[in-house]
Amino acid sequence: MRFATDTGGTFTDLVVEGDDGLWRAFKASTVAEDPVRGVLDALRLAAGDYGLTLRDLLQRGDTFIHATTHAINAVLTGTVARTALLTTQGHPDILLLREGGRPDPFDFSTGFPKPYVARRDVWELPGRIDADGSVFAPLDEERVIAILDELAEQRVEAIAVCLLWSIVNPAHELRLGELIEARLPGIPYTLSHQLNPIPREYRRASAASIDASLKPMMGRYLGSLTRRLADAGFGGRVLMVTSQGGVMDAGALAKAPIHVLNSGPSMAPVAGRHFAGAMAGDAIVADTGGTTFDISVVRDGRLPLTRELWVGPPIVGHLTGFPSVDVRSVGAGGGSIGRVDRGGILHVGPQSAGAWPGPACYGRGGTEPTLTDAALVLGYLDPAFFLGGTMPLDVTASERALATIATPLGVDVTAAAAAVVELATETMAQAILQITEEQGIDPERATLVGGGGAAGMNLIFIGRRLGCPRIIVPEAGSTLSAAGALMSDLVTERRATARMSTVDFSPAAANDVLDRLQEECAAFAAAQTGDPAEADFVRTVEARYADQAWEIEVMLPAGRLEGPADVARFRQAFDAEHQRLYGFCDPASAVEIVSWRVGVACRLKNAGARRLAEIPGRLDRPARAITLPNGERHDAPVHRWSDMPVQEIFSGPAVVESFFTSVVIDHAQFHRAADGSLVIDL
Amino acid sequence: MISQPALSGARLAVLRSRMDGISRKMSKALTRAGRSGVLNRAKDLSCAILSPECALLSAADSLPIHVLSGPDLMARSMLDAHPELRRGDAFLHNCPYTGCSHAADHTILVPVIDDEGRHRFTVLVKAHQADIGDSAPTTYFAGARDVYEEGALIFPAVQVQRDYRIIDDIVRMCRARIRVPDQWYGDFLAMIGAARCGEQELLDLGAEVGWDVLDAFSQGWLAYGERQMRDRIAGLPALTASGSSRHDPMPGTPADGVEVRATVRIDPGAHRIIVDLTDNIDVLPCGLNVSEACARTGALIGIFNTLGAGVVKNAGSIGRVEILLRDGSCIGGGRHPTSFSVSTTNLADRIVAAVQIAVSEVLPEMALAETGAVNPPHKGVVSGIDPRDGRAFINQLFLGSTGGAASARADAWLTYSHAGNAGMSFVDSIEMVEMHHPLRVLRRELVPDSEGAGEHTGAPALTVELEPIGAEIEIAYVSDGTINRAQGVCGGAAAGAAAQAKRTQAGVVDLPPFGHLRLRPGEALLSVGTGGGGFGDPRRRDPAKVCEDVRDRRISRQRAWLTYGVAIGEDGAIDARATTELRTKGPSE
Repeated sequence: MRFATDTGGTFTDLVVEGDDGLWRAFKASTVAEDPVRGVLDALRLAAGDYGLTLRDLLQRGDTFIHATTHAINAVLTGTVARTALLTTQGHPDILLLREGGRPDPFDFSTGFPKPYVARRDVWELPGRIDADGSVFAPLDEERVIAILDELAEQRVEAIAVCLLWSIVNPAHELRLGELIEARLPGIPYTLSHQLNPIPREYRRASAASIDASLKPMMGRYLGSLTRRLADAGFGGRVLMVTSQGGVMDAGALAKAPIHVLNSGPSMAPVAGRHFAGAMAGDAIVADTGGTTFDISVVRDGRLPLTRELWVGPPIVGHLTGFPSVDVRSVGAGGGSIGRVDRGGILHVGPQSAGAWPGPACYGRGGTEPTLTDAALVLGYLDPAFFLGGTMPLDVTASERALATIATPLGVDVTAAAAAVVELATETMAQAILQITEEQGIDPERATLVGGGGAAGMNLIFIGRRLGCPRIIVPEAGSTLSAAGALMSDLVTERRATARMSTVDFSPAAANDVLDRLQEECAAFAAAQTGDPAEADFVRTVEARYADQAWEIEVMLPAGRLEGPADVARFRQAFDAEHQRLYGFCDPASAVEIVSWRVGVACRLKNAGARRLAEIPGRLDRPARAITLPNGERHDAPVHRWSDMPVQEIFSGPAVVESFFTSVVIDHAQFHRAADGSLVIDL
Repeated sequence: MISQPALSGARLAVLRSRMDGISRKMSKALTRAGRSGVLNRAKDLSCAILSPECALLSAADSLPIHVLSGPDLMARSMLDAHPELRRGDAFLHNCPYTGCSHAADHTILVPVIDDEGRHRFTVLVKAHQADIGDSAPTTYFAGARDVYEEGALIFPAVQVQRDYRIIDDIVRMCRARIRVPDQWYGDFLAMIGAARCGEQELLDLGAEVGWDVLDAFSQGWLAYGERQMRDRIAGLPALTASGSSRHDPMPGTPADGVEVRATVRIDPGAHRIIVDLTDNIDVLPCGLNVSEACARTGALIGIFNTLGAGVVKNAGSIGRVEILLRDGSCIGGGRHPTSFSVSTTNLADRIVAAVQIAVSEVLPEMALAETGAVNPPHKGVVSGIDPRDGRAFINQLFLGSTGGAASARADAWLTYSHAGNAGMSFVDSIEMVEMHHPLRVLRRELVPDSEGAGEHTGAPALTVELEPIGAEIEIAYVSDGTINRAQGVCGGAAAGAAAQAKRTQAGVVDLPPFGHLRLRPGEALLSVGTGGGGFGDPRRRDPAKVCEDVRDRRISRQRAWLTYGVAIGEDGAIDARATTELRTKGPSE
């Protein structure tokens, strides 16, 4: 048995893979002050469902995979360890100045974001290394020791070290590490060049500070998690989901907890890739929750990484520069509120009714019209059968709420609801286009995979807007991240910074760098699995035209780089990628490689069926009236998801419902695939 | 989709989002693919979409000084010069006499032509260049007597592509004149690429929703902007107020510098604001003059800044602001061959300040102090031969400028840069600057006790110290604000001034506020960029914030005591009793 849990802000999702290979999904409330309790609560629910005691259930498990928002919440709310940043003399304001930019040039109401580490906890160290790695000024160890003693006196709980050019010559950072261990034994610290060896000191300092600040609490959290699981009977392996879309041992994670920051969202594309059937090909994965809409992509069967993932909102949040699965979150979920401004224009979101009071139709006091209210009025949701009938919805309340925007728009309530759906769809489409443009994906050749409880309300319209040929809603779509965790690989990667130009390219030097990275990855793989065939290696470089500032990632061919022909092939691949991303290439310009990467993914276990076990119970609903955003009204048949015969083709308009979600379909054809997914062809 | 003869508020919202998405996509593509640091690291660029009538529709993610006025004038001059437009055309424009901000802002204009040959939109991509072939290695040539001495190649809507193919004659001309030609050409390709990407998106959109619907969108969207602005103005009192701001003296200016005056008349009955910039001195024999585009834009920035976020910026809202300029004035009235080399920053920022000060004194709830001036040497244009590879280099440094002004609503946005930029540009990473140039940045930090004191504080000044490695480098700069600091409003104080000096074996010597500095190995530049003005009486500032700033060494305990009336004990905590006493009676020393 394997368990995957995803602790979110509201719910803790659990997917259990039984010995029969089938999945069962469970949800328990997250307990903010003790997240482990939410995990154990979900496991108790599962035990009940399997007819076992918690101890019996856990004793049958061999793997426990965990994703959590615990770390990112701590970063966003500032409830992390008091952390000192040690940096190069003359540069105490790296974290304050950041990289510039501003969300709105005319907004004078919003203050400037605070630095992750306040100036009072930033310490400047005499000593300077130049861009070429030479030592311009030696490290003043006497001063360092005086500072470390001061830190001890101030009871600093963690230390981040980021010195200029440590990525080229790490001697000073390494020496600082030794001195910290000698003077402040037991105080966790992070060296920027070890954690995230990239140029741009702000990103390194930010990553190192966040990582160090998480070490004390994540160490405690992981200790508590593994201990309490063990106490409850679990004797297997505890793995943590990382922002890179893989998993790592809890012990390894405690040494670099920054990896867990975006752990939940990074699993949605892992699941999306599987269900899109796309080990080759492009897919867009959209996960719609109550307050946020998370988007990620699959490119040529791979999950592209980004160094520009913001912790919190862009510009005012924190940038780690850490390669992470590219997942963007926008404030556009089922709770997004519609309003009409004084000039008569409609807005939907980013304000959200959230989980409480929630949309007006929840009957908990919400009076503003939300996307969910619009979907209810248009017939996309069944008021008597929301979440399998466990939560009745109030249509009249939705209509009342929508009337507040129908009047100023000069339309009836139904048309106002259609407008809310259309504008929410456009907002979501724009968010998708930002990521597809940056990752060089053409939506007209990509599969759209929908997850999250609220996806079905407008997924079809998003697909139409983007021109996607096919939409897939997986059976386990409402717990996409936990499902992804069950199918993820044990991953690691090694990176090196070494500049090299196509003008004077040295295959020997390149092979030296790559061989070293490859060996380290192979050693990791060997330690994880006895069978090297179970490991996949990927080799990429980050490169740019001479004088450009931003690199793009290009795959390298397998094997050693031999001569000019290999270099020419790489060059062509680079030009093609640049053309794809930016619409032009410059074959006359030199290409500079800045950094090298080897990644390895070790498969954990042969895949099970990756299917949800059938949930007993009846779901016979009559046909109902729906209104499409173009104003067409239809009497739409309601199909029960699990009753649809596999591969039989139906035509819309229709609604497909399960206990977890409701998917509206316009004139498109749809069917249920052999793996249980709902497939809609546009 | 729901369609009505006049588009509904819902449809307008959807199409607005698509238009903004297109302008954002263009600027992102240009930032990433640009070759010079001024584009790819600093993002000194803007992208816009205009109607065939040359009305500004969308300029999401742009620098204010680039777009509020200028694109309209440039698109008009393209139509005047090329009455017959064809699909596949592209034009290069940098002519300040026909609408460009200044010669350094190369602009690509592409008309979007539908299948019937009708001109439907114009897309515009504007980017500050690393070099434009001036007679000196700078794109801010303050000393230029006129455009001839300035020396830039001027392109008044000159065709550079026909049938999507580059016209090589122009490229050869540029390559023969512009420093580091490969860098310029890389930027040129990236700009054309971005414009073509915007064109294709608009062609697709027209095919998808219909050109008539897009026409209806343009009308509806401009009407919406106008309506919003009319409503906003109708809620203001009728009044007239004047403000002024003074630029430091430099060669070519009067001995006491240049006072820039603005009179703002709010006429709620007519739903109109008039900004009168006519009471300003004549054209100067130097590069500081403000082009028509920048004079108009400077006035608009001041107005929109005080109105607050939320008013859409398009030709509809902009049309409610009337700007009066005087022929022959250095503020928007110069003619050929006047030099506008430094038009986007120095005097233009003083226009913004004069407007903000005028509004602040009469409408304190909308008050906004003066933003810090630029361009200190650490934001200058650096050039030389890189000893590491023997190659020539030229580029503008963006090592950071603070300068944000305090408002009635909040403390300053720290990395505001200057009024025309509004904080939209990026700040250079030390490591990226050192990777690309043979220099070492020894220091970059905020200056303690330099913030514009107030109930809300303006940004502190920023100091940078750098030195060349292994070769001589040249830095061209025009640093305003050494004498005339950013003013506070409504009782707020002025901020720390600019300063520039050189450290040599013989000691530290002051540098003039403008010049072409040559630095040899062993010498270092010491540069301070200005802070921004404060808002309101500093004694009304939340003592907890003052205390935080003391703990963070942003302000001294003495300044907390004297300026803010907050007593901070040796332990770093507020002494509440002493603070109350200070604030009621004032300091006893």
